[in-house]
Amino acid sequence: MSEQETTQSLISTDVTAGAATERTVDADPVVRSLGLNVYYGEEPALNDVDMEIPRRQVTAIIGPSGCGKSTFLRCINRMNDLVEAATIEGELRFEGADIYGDEVDPVALRRKIGMVFQHPNPFPKSIYDNVAYGLRVQGDTKNLDERVERALKRAALWKEVEGQLDKSALDLSGGQQQRLCIARAIAVDPEVILMDEPASALDPIATSKIEDLIEELAEDYTVVIVTHNMQQAARISDYTAVFLTGGELVEFDDTQTIFENPAHERVEDYITGKFG
Amino acid sequence: MPRENYQESLADLRADVRAMGADVLDQFDLALEALDRRDAALARRVFEGDEAINDRYLALEQECIDLLALQQPVAGDLRFVAASFKILTDLERVGDLATNFGEYALAAEHADPTDVDVARIGTLCRDQLTAALDAYADGDAAACRTVARRDDEVDALCQRASEAVVRELIAGEAGNDAWAAERLLDDVSRLLLTVRDLERVGDHAVNVAARTLYMVEEDPELIY
Repeated sequence: MSEQETTQSLISTDVTAGAATERTVDADPVVRSLGLNVYYGEEPALNDVDMEIPRRQVTAIIGPSGCGKSTFLRCINRMNDLVEAATIEGELRFEGADIYGDEVDPVALRRKIGMVFQHPNPFPKSIYDNVAYGLRVQGDTKNLDERVERALKRAALWKEVEGQLDKSALDLSGGQQQRLCIARAIAVDPEVILMDEPASALDPIATSKIEDLIEELAEDYTVVIVTHNMQQAARISDYTAVFLTGGELVEFDDTQTIFENPAHERVEDYITGKFG
Repeated sequence: MPRENYQESLADLRADVRAMGADVLDQFDLALEALDRRDAALARRVFEGDEAINDRYLALEQECIDLLALQQPVAGDLRFVAASFKILTDLERVGDLATNFGEYALAAEHADPTDVDVARIGTLCRDQLTAALDAYADGDAAACRTVARRDDEVDALCQRASEAVVRELIAGEAGNDAWAAERLLDDVSRLLLTVRDLERVGDHAVNVAARTLYMVEEDPELIY
């Protein structure tokens, strides 16, 4: 059975069973996973993950190294397709549609679900060309200047690069490069922005700019951020998911509850630093 | 265990708050005895002891601030530090009230004009404070609720005592003796203040219980 057939067969059995997730936090989730399992070869990376990611909120995913948090993030826009040994079972839906459905074009999916990585990765092109890249690939070049400007403003970078858009993106500072990557992601008007440790390579000032930006972005986009920095999760997220060893989502709740009164002792032990 | 220094700091704070609680109870005991025996020397010991309480209060407050700023506690740890921070203030206030009782002991030159049993109210308040501090030390939610319930008893005793004092004033036999009237007024005022301050000690005991309940169960029912 192929990976997709496996997924499909699980969908047709598990979903019809109507197993409501106990971790429901929003009636209108953008992304929903149900019984999601991921294996790298024989090694389980995610274990039966049920989660609903609420619309236009910041959802943080925290947990110790190797707990599967980045794996989960990468499943959402099928970045794990690039990992040959990865097997995915269970259900993962974006706006109700099966992310791993046969008809889904991963490239089109990634336009709706953008990703920002730990290390800024601008193309070795001008600032303008970086932001315009996705739109040009789509053949969508109408009002290009205006849309590039809008994306740069939305990413809080415009004031710093106005009048020098033909400058190489590689000449920008690390923090500016990361905001440029965010501008590049939002230029194609996604619904979800996934961020994998977006500030871990940045200094405190650049980090605080990214954090402010993330909170602003949640007015228009759904943001999912993986972070090792628990204080960062506490500062900027509305909801927090705690993955623990074995790829298990142990607790998912509003951030205040997670950091003030988590329901699970293992979560309390992890966030208070008693293990991990 | 990871974050060993942090865990030690939390344990130190818990021990320090308990030690301050024990000191405040000693101060309160001394003050009640001073009041009961109208003992000026004991009263002066209460005044002297209050300086140490104040110093300890400031040091522990700083300990809480350092933990918050440097260790960023969360979940149960956060509730523990937040509750301790508030409880310290209540303890320091009880220390201040103990000095008030010392003042009243100095001012009381003769027997109280009524048979108000100040010692009994004092003992009850002391029991309440002891129970609240034990609940904090043991993380005992049920004991917190008991302290809150028993406060009604303290309030009722204080209410009856105040009424008795005022009745005494109204029925005062000072007559036209201006000096006797003045003395009666002084005694009555002092006694009313004593009863009021004892009731406040009871209220601080409830505050300690309320913060402890929040610490243990994140239950704010006694706070609001």
